Amino acid sequence: MVRRRFLAIAFACLAFATLPANIASADDRQAAAGELIDRMIADLQAFLATDTGDVASRSAEIDRVLSAYFDMDTITRFSAGQYWRAANADQRAEYGTLFREVLCGTIVRNFDQLNGLEYSPGMTSTKGDKFVIVGGTFTDTNGGRPPVAVNWRVLTREGQPPRVFDIEIENLSLLVTQKQENVAVVRKNKGQFIALIEAMQARLEAPLHSN
Amino acid sequence: MKLFLDLDGFQPRRFTAVALIAATVALAGCSSTPPTDRSDARDRYEDANRKVFAFNMDVDTYVLEPVASGYRNTVPEGGRTAIDNHLRWASMPSTAINSTLQGKFENATLATLNFLVNGLTLGFADLSEDDQKVDREDFGQTLAAYDVPEGSYLMVPVLGPRTTRSLTGNVVDIVLNPLQIFGTGNTADAVRTAQAPAGAVSFRANNFEAFNDVKYNSLDPYARTRSVYYQTRIGLLEDRVAEGAGSAVSEDEFDSLFEDSN
Repeated sequence: MVRRRFLAIAFACLAFATLPANIASADDRQAAAGELIDRMIADLQAFLATDTGDVASRSAEIDRVLSAYFDMDTITRFSAGQYWRAANADQRAEYGTLFREVLCGTIVRNFDQLNGLEYSPGMTSTKGDKFVIVGGTFTDTNGGRPPVAVNWRVLTREGQPPRVFDIEIENLSLLVTQKQENVAVVRKNKGQFIALIEAMQARLEAPLHSN
Repeated sequence: MKLFLDLDGFQPRRFTAVALIAATVALAGCSSTPPTDRSDARDRYEDANRKVFAFNMDVDTYVLEPVASGYRNTVPEGGRTAIDNHLRWASMPSTAINSTLQGKFENATLATLNFLVNGLTLGFADLSEDDQKVDREDFGQTLAAYDVPEGSYLMVPVLGPRTTRSLTGNVVDIVLNPLQIFGTGNTADAVRTAQAPAGAVSFRANNFEAFNDVKYNSLDPYARTRSVYYQTRIGLLEDRVAEGAGSAVSEDEFDSLFEDSN
């Protein structure tokens, strides 16, 4: 009886003792994710300040930012949906290269829209024990465009540096949109993963429409 | 008072409502795409929808895109803001009714006040000093609040993506709009006539780059449009898009990120 009571008290003490540690851990993850986004924005602003509009240097900068701040392996895998499992090693490697190229191209094509934008951080919240959502707003300093709400989804896995894996603009997830589009391409081609690779190759070879 | 089915003379908004009903009936009559051939389980009429989407893209290429481009280049920013204000103001009666039906009484009150105050300028100027934003509510959202199933995904000619539920909601909103029922006179008719095309041009102009990127640069513009529509609609149904208070995407969506990658 005494032993049982002792165990109950010990468990209660243990639970109480670990509670502040868990809260601190969630705070730490939020702080780390927020700091990652702040650094990335500062990096981009520094580049924009000296940007000459040269496509090659813009592409190089985007490639560097993707490597430094984004979890490209996770993004690549998720964007292929359930068909990632069906792809062989060569197809996965080829898809990864093409996906990165398409992504870089999309960002570079819309790069001019970043000019004149000012970022202000918003609320940050923890989602389970895997990732954190960092909120923020982009405001057009020229007043020509309405403010745009953005959420950065940041992976915060133990023992690994935080990395962005999704951007939501006005609550529209870019990763989910890309995944649903890619899955649609594979499904319309009777589940052939190679069809997605071919569609991406064709897209890259076709002349792109710029706004 | 004008009755909805009084067809003595062409009434564009009534025409829109009739077109919506006709589109629903026509699509309901289409044979559904076999589940194994669908690129999304929610898209029951995918084959027919893709044909309508191709038609809509042609309409965009030859009409909407050049008009929206001209609108952006010629109408000054103040004028575009005034038109956006008016379109928003015109939706306030519908928002007030639907907010009430959904039990969102604060939003209903705000919509009513906004409509009355800004009515002095037909909504072209925003005279309300209150910073609190009115969340747009339509009858599709009201049906969702009463657990009416969303139905199939539909690509409606000219109007674009809808679900059966949101399309039904659009028809009811047009029929129940007090401006439609009580507004009379040449000015009211002229304003009403211009609203639908002005709304389309304004939407296209406000989303010009994003729309063009989907249309010209995506792997499957149809699938991307469907994804964007569903995410936006879910956000509206959960009152997230307007408030910017969270994400329209369920976090469960990302579960596969943490599964074994092999």
